[in-house]
Amino acid sequence: MSTAAENPLLEGLKLRRTPEPCALVIFGASGDLTSRKLFPALYSLAVRRLLPERFGVIGVARTEQTTRQWAAAMKAAVKEHGRDDFDESVWSNLADGLRYVATDFADDEGQDAVVRELYELDEERGTEGNRVYYLAVPPAAFETIVNELGERRDSTRGWTRLIVEKPFGHDRASANGLNAVLSEHFGEHEVFRIDHYLGKETVQNMLALRFANGIFEPIWNRQFIDHVQITVAESIGVEGRAGFYESAGAIRDIFQNHLLQLVALTAMEPPIDFTADSVRNEKVKVLRSLHTPGPKSVVRGQYGPGLVEGEEVPGYREEESVDGESMTDTFVAAKLYVDNWRWADTPFYVRAGKRLARRETTIAIQFQRAPHPPFAEIAGDGLRPNVLLIHVQPDEGVSLAIGAKVPGQGMSIRTVHMDFVYGGTFRTGLPEAYERLILDAMLGDATLFTRADEVDEQWALVDTIVAAWNRDRPVFPNYEAGTWGPRSADELVQRDGRSWRRH
Amino acid sequence: MAQTLTDTSLAAVERALNEERDEGAQRTSVMTHVVWAPATWLKAAERTLAGLSERHPSRTILLTPAPRRKDGIDALVEVRTFPVGSSSRCIASEVVELTLKGERARAPGSIVNPLLITDLPVFCRWRGEPDWESPELEQLVQVVDRLVVDSSEWGGLPASYERLADLCDRVAVSDIAWSRTERWRAVLAAQWPAIRRAKALEVRGPQADALLLAGWLRSRLRKKVELVHRDARTVRRLAVDGSVVEAPGGAAPTPSDLLSDQLDVFGRDPIYESAVSAAR
Repeated sequence: MSTAAENPLLEGLKLRRTPEPCALVIFGASGDLTSRKLFPALYSLAVRRLLPERFGVIGVARTEQTTRQWAAAMKAAVKEHGRDDFDESVWSNLADGLRYVATDFADDEGQDAVVRELYELDEERGTEGNRVYYLAVPPAAFETIVNELGERRDSTRGWTRLIVEKPFGHDRASANGLNAVLSEHFGEHEVFRIDHYLGKETVQNMLALRFANGIFEPIWNRQFIDHVQITVAESIGVEGRAGFYESAGAIRDIFQNHLLQLVALTAMEPPIDFTADSVRNEKVKVLRSLHTPGPKSVVRGQYGPGLVEGEEVPGYREEESVDGESMTDTFVAAKLYVDNWRWADTPFYVRAGKRLARRETTIAIQFQRAPHPPFAEIAGDGLRPNVLLIHVQPDEGVSLAIGAKVPGQGMSIRTVHMDFVYGGTFRTGLPEAYERLILDAMLGDATLFTRADEVDEQWALVDTIVAAWNRDRPVFPNYEAGTWGPRSADELVQRDGRSWRRH
Repeated sequence: MAQTLTDTSLAAVERALNEERDEGAQRTSVMTHVVWAPATWLKAAERTLAGLSERHPSRTILLTPAPRRKDGIDALVEVRTFPVGSSSRCIASEVVELTLKGERARAPGSIVNPLLITDLPVFCRWRGEPDWESPELEQLVQVVDRLVVDSSEWGGLPASYERLADLCDRVAVSDIAWSRTERWRAVLAAQWPAIRRAKALEVRGPQADALLLAGWLRSRLRKKVELVHRDARTVRRLAVDGSVVEAPGGAAPTPSDLLSDQLDVFGRDPIYESAVSAAR
C-alpha cells in the first residue's frame, strides 16, 4: 500500500491497523491455550475486521482429527471463551481458511504436509507466502519445531514471524541454547517471545501514566518514592499443570517473566519513542541493573491445605500428579534493587504465588510520608503514605491514596482513594492481551514482546536466586492456602520497617 | 430514578444531580456533552444517545428550545449507572434534559456554562441545520471545544457549507456526514494512482455525502472533478469516470457509532475543512 506522502487521498484517513495477507500456523492446535485464548482472540479480531482479508490458519498437533472436527472444536471454544457474541457469518468466514494437519512435530512427512497446506493457502486464499508460526507447545518441542521450520523455510517468498510462548528456557543456559537455535534460522526481528502480561491494557497504560503525564515523572525516583511493591497473586492451584509446574515453580512460572517485566516497566527510563527497540533498550537496562542483596532477601514458599473463598482446598503436595515430597516453590517474594541513579537504595518488594487469598496483580508505588504534617499527632492516626496503585488484574485501573479531612469538627485525617477504573471510563471493552499480541506480531511490531537480551538478564537473576536455594532445604509446606504466603515473606518487609500493602 | 423539575433553577438541577448520585457508583466523565435538539429532532437525539453514554461516560446536557412558551427552565435529571465488568462496582453518567422556555431559549450559553465539568472538553452536537445568524449558535460556539453537526440533516446545501466554512475559524467542527464517507474514501484512496486522472465522480447517496466526497477529491487531487449526484438514503453506488467502485465490506456504522467516533476527535480537521471549501 502506498503511504500518505505518495498518495494524498490517504492523508487524514483513520486507517485500521490491518496486517498484510498471511497464514497463521499454530503448533499445539489441540491444546488448551489454542482453544481458551488463541481462537477466541482470532475471532474477536475477525469481528472487528482487524484480520487480513486474505488469511488462513493451519492447526498442527498430534491429535488425530480432520479439519472439520478441529474447526468444530474451535467453534465451540470461541462460543465458550470468546468475549463477543457469536456471529455465524464472522465465524464461517474465518472457518473457510482453516486447515488441520495431524502429525508429530518431529515427523518430516508431517512437516512437509504443513508446507503443502501453506502453499495451498497461498493459492486459494492469496496469503502471499507470509507466515506467522505460533509455538503453543511445551518447551521440549521448541527446538524440534524451530529446526523443522528453519530447514523448510522459503526465503524467496513473503515474510516469516515466529511467536514463542513462555517459558523460554528453564535457566540461563537453556534459554541461551534456545536463542542460538532460533538465531540459526531466524533473525531477532522475526522472533516474538510472548509475555502475555505485556499485552494487557493496564500494563501499557503504565507507560501512558508515566510518560504522558507531567506530574508523575518528576517524582518517580528515590527522592520521592519510599518503595515499590509488586504483587502477582493467584487464588488457583496448579489446575492440571502439575507436570510443568513441578519443574518450574513460581520463580520460573511468574517471577522470571511477568514479575520482572512489571519491574522493568515501572523502573525504566523514558524511551525516546515508542518503537520496539527504544522501549526494549530501556527495559533491558533495568533488568541488567537488578540485584537482590542476598539470600535472606528472597523467600520461597509452598502452600499446604487451607480455605480459599470458603472452600477447603488441598495442599500442593496433595494435588494430582504432584510428588508427595515435592520441594517446588509455589510462592516467591524478594527484595530487589535497581542499581542506577534514579532508584539507588529504593527497594522493590515483589511477590508471586499460587493459592493466595485472592487473585490480584498490582503495582503499588508508595511515596515518602509528608515531611512535617502541621496537625496534632492524633489527627493523622488513620493516615497512610500516598500510594499510587496500578491494578493490572482484575478491575484494571489506577487509584491514588491521599489524605483527606474527615468532615466535622476538629481535624481528623483519613486515607481515601481516588479511583480511575479502566472499564468505567473507556467502556469500549478491553481487548484480551492475546488479541493485541497476535495482531502486533502479524504487523511485525515487537514492542510488546521480549527480546533475547531481556530474557537473558531475567534468567541471570533467577539463576543467582536458584543457586542459593540449592544450598538449603526449607520446611515445606510453609503457608496455608488462602493466606498471603509464608510468615517469612512478612518478615522480609518488616525487617525494613515496612509492611506489605493491606488488602 | 429521575427527577422532573418544572420552572426550576440551575442550582436546583445541581442539587438534583447530587441527590441522584448512587453512593455505590463512581462518577466517571471524559467530557461534557451538550446536545442542541429542537423539538423535531428530540426523539432522534435520544435514540442516538441511548447506549452512547456507556461508551463515553459524561455529563450530557440535552437542550430543547421552546421559545414560544412562558419563560423558564424545565429539567429532567437522571444518573444512569452501569456495572463495571463482573465486579460489584458501578459507574455513573449524568443526563440533564433542559427545556429552555421563552427568552431562556435565546441564552443557552449562560445556562450551559454553570453545568460544565471543569477542565474536561465540551462537545456540542447540534441537531438539524443551525440558524447561522442566531445568538444561540454564537453563544454555544463560544462555550464548546468542538461542534458536531450532520450536514445531511440540512436543507440548504451546498450553500450552507459556505456558512460552515466561516465557523471553522472559531470552533473545531466535526461532521457526521463526513465521518460516514470515511469507508468510501478509503476505497477511493485504494484506487491510487489511477484515480489521480479522475474527471467525474458519480454518487448515489445523500446529497451531503456526495458533495463532501466530491469536495474531498477536488481538494486532495487539486483538480476539477465533476459531481453527478442521484439521491438515496445511504451511499449505494460510487463510480469514477463511469467505472463502478467496489463497495466497502462490512456493515455500515450506526448513528451512535458515528457520533461516538467524533467524540474521540480533538482539534481541527484540515482535510474536512478543505473538502467543505471545495464542495460548494
